[in-house]
Amino acid sequence: MNLIGVVAAVVTFLSVWFGHVAVRKIEFISPTIWIPVTAFFSFGLVVEFLSLSAINRSLSTALGIFGITLLFDAFEFVRQEKRVKKGHAPANPNNPRHAEILATYSSATTLDLLKRDPTGLRMSAKETSTNL
Amino acid sequence: MNYFGLLTGIATLLIIGLGFPLEIHGERILGYLWWPYMMGVGILLVIVSLFIQTEWFCVLVGILGATFIWGSTELKEQAVRTELGWYLLNPDKIKPPFENMIKKWKAPHL
Repeated sequence: MNLIGVVAAVVTFLSVWFGHVAVRKIEFISPTIWIPVTAFFSFGLVVEFLSLSAINRSLSTALGIFGITLLFDAFEFVRQEKRVKKGHAPANPNNPRHAEILATYSSATTLDLLKRDPTGLRMSAKETSTNL
Repeated sequence: MNYFGLLTGIATLLIIGLGFPLEIHGERILGYLWWPYMMGVGILLVIVSLFIQTEWFCVLVGILGATFIWGSTELKEQAVRTELGWYLLNPDKIKPPFENMIKKWKAPHL
């Protein structure tokens, strides 16, 4: 039995889950984009450095995967802001950065359009402009 | 210096990168109701990894398994994206075996 694959799988799944939730939540409330980007990028570099220094192969693998996902999350903050501008992710009117996006981009919305169950049918214009 | 973790991390990034088109095309051709099968393939890959002795190959199979499991939790949202018109919607999807039973289950989303 070789457990290193399971370690890699569990760490991949949890890191992706963490990044998926953290990027959305932090981007939603953060008044600046550069602070979370810098924080995640720096933390990612530190974790990668620790991975390079780890003697144990499983630990090196776990840190290597987690570090790379943190570096990718830094990039995801920028992509998430673009989604908010397009209306593909909800804008937070209480966040000054998002309030400016809402004022500048007509496509931006406070609605979370993805929060619904699939029906198998193309939605009408009315449906795509309301929270169900 | 132990480069194994860094290389594993880069491999993870590439494998997750493959997950994006897999998700988009998988949903378009098959539909989100295939999620239990996608999850099953992922779990199977992780189990298979237990029996692979070559470490780097074992790790790659594990990561691929995790990508499939994660992908299965994203299918529902991808289906909504197609219905919103953000991605191409295919009305003639290939139905999964036991479709009616799967419809009764709540599709996972994290």
